Amino acid sequence: MSSTMISSHIPDLDLITTYAQREGTFFSRVSPWTKFSGLLLVILLITLTRNLVICGILYLIILGLYASAGFPVKKLFAWYTLPVLFVISLVGIMAWTEPGTPVFSWTLGLFTLTLTNNGVILIVTLLLKALISVTYSLFFLMTTRYQHFSAMIYRLFPTPLDQIFLLAYRFLFLTLSMTGAIFKAVRSRGGGIIHSIRIQGQIFAEVFALVFIRSFDRAERVHLAMISRGYSGKYEAGTEIPRPGLSGMVVIGVFCCVIAIIVLMVPNTGGIS
Amino acid sequence: MTVIRRDPHAHCAPVDPERELIHVDCASHSYPDGSVGIHDMCFYVLKDEIVALCGPNGSGKSTLLEHLNGLLTPSKGDVWVNGRSITHGERSDLWKDVGIVFQRSDDQLFAPTVLDDVMFGPLNLGMSHDNAKAAVMGALEWVGAADLVAKLPNYLSGGQKRLVSIAGVLAMKPRIMVLDEPTSDLDPLHSERVEALILRFKREYGISVVIATHDLDLAARIADRVCLVRDGSVFAEGTPCEIFYNPSLIREAGLALPQTVRIYLDYCTAQGREPEQRPIQRDELIRALQSSRSR
Repeated sequence: MSSTMISSHIPDLDLITTYAQREGTFFSRVSPWTKFSGLLLVILLITLTRNLVICGILYLIILGLYASAGFPVKKLFAWYTLPVLFVISLVGIMAWTEPGTPVFSWTLGLFTLTLTNNGVILIVTLLLKALISVTYSLFFLMTTRYQHFSAMIYRLFPTPLDQIFLLAYRFLFLTLSMTGAIFKAVRSRGGGIIHSIRIQGQIFAEVFALVFIRSFDRAERVHLAMISRGYSGKYEAGTEIPRPGLSGMVVIGVFCCVIAIIVLMVPNTGGIS
Repeated sequence: MTVIRRDPHAHCAPVDPERELIHVDCASHSYPDGSVGIHDMCFYVLKDEIVALCGPNGSGKSTLLEHLNGLLTPSKGDVWVNGRSITHGERSDLWKDVGIVFQRSDDQLFAPTVLDDVMFGPLNLGMSHDNAKAAVMGALEWVGAADLVAKLPNYLSGGQKRLVSIAGVLAMKPRIMVLDEPTSDLDPLHSERVEALILRFKREYGISVVIATHDLDLAARIADRVCLVRDGSVFAEGTPCEIFYNPSLIREAGLALPQTVRIYLDYCTAQGREPEQRPIQRDELIRALQSSRSR
């Protein structure tokens, strides 16, 4: 468990950045612009398609890329907890109202809830879409050095969004590290063992209150340090981002063609239905 | 120079107007919660000197340092930097003259990479991107951290973070460098490196240096002048020899004597002799002990 890891179900920012900085995979040498274009195209495709097979194949391809890069697959599955909960909490209700062949019925007093085959497909499709975007985003972050990522933010986002993102980086690390340290201190004195939900809840509330206060204090210190070096509201990223190579452009071109073919030819993607 | 004991409420006239870069005249500052940061503080910095502000925690050293860069302004009294009053005048570009290295590097390093962080100051000075990059590389090489240029601050050790923090200020080429507890939390190797850098600032760049520290060994090794701070004001000042061979002053400041002084005084006591010399540096101590034995 890395120092900033709070739970195995929350993506470990420290670990993700460590992989990115290590540049140990073939994909780390691919231009960040190529990988970012890939991310946009993946999002475009999963937005356009409702086809379960396409989503399944795309998910397997991306999972394959992730695994072939040597990234931890078990951890990835643990990190899926939050997106899965998010999708289930949203689609869980919608799925029961989908028309189709009943698969499962549940009678509760006067009411009968029926889950249809279309409801199940809806849940699985949306779940796959969420996992595709999460897996590719993690793959992108774990193969792109942070300096390139931050420089991309600086070039792509308008002010003040770029400033917020750029300044948030260190702050996020420091806050996570602070939270991790406080949790360690709590655990070291037996605070991690649940005796009562009320007491545990109180401890967590106190920890987060402390983190909030300390973060605020730290933000003030950082701001002061920036002013001492002439900060007047504008901060520029100085790193240059590697340009996409010919092979990268070809891959993106091919991906665009594949998306066009899928959109035109495959049912539930705008083509024949 | 002899030890000067300061009267708490007396105004201080400039000591050497020709060479004076900073002059703090009876400055006071209280924080919003009512706690006193500095109180009737008198202090000055001359060209080409290293001044050590020594005092226990909470004595007002850091508050004074933040006044020198214009981050804080006194509620009473005045602070002059390069002949300009920061209390009544313009202080927005004071950061160009006075660079400050904070006690905790994590408070200072905010950018995603070392390059971006060190480049922050030069870009704010209005340098072009290429010139700023050259200044960054020059500063990082000078502090011996050029290999860290592409690293993320999050993955640096405490010592490396301190070197990068120093480079971030040095890249702006200030006339005065202010360092808050420059060697606190550092391993001995990095402490020595930082110490050597401070001496080189003065020797190679002609930068005047102010350090705030409660490490009197450090002050003894590098300072030209030592100011003892207590309850928000400087109550005594002098050369390291004068200050550190006055144990009652050090006790009054709530500090402990530097190792070299303690060893020499303990040796003289054990030998039943009066201290004849005043060694401050390690080599001076060795010579003093040798000459004492040969007698």
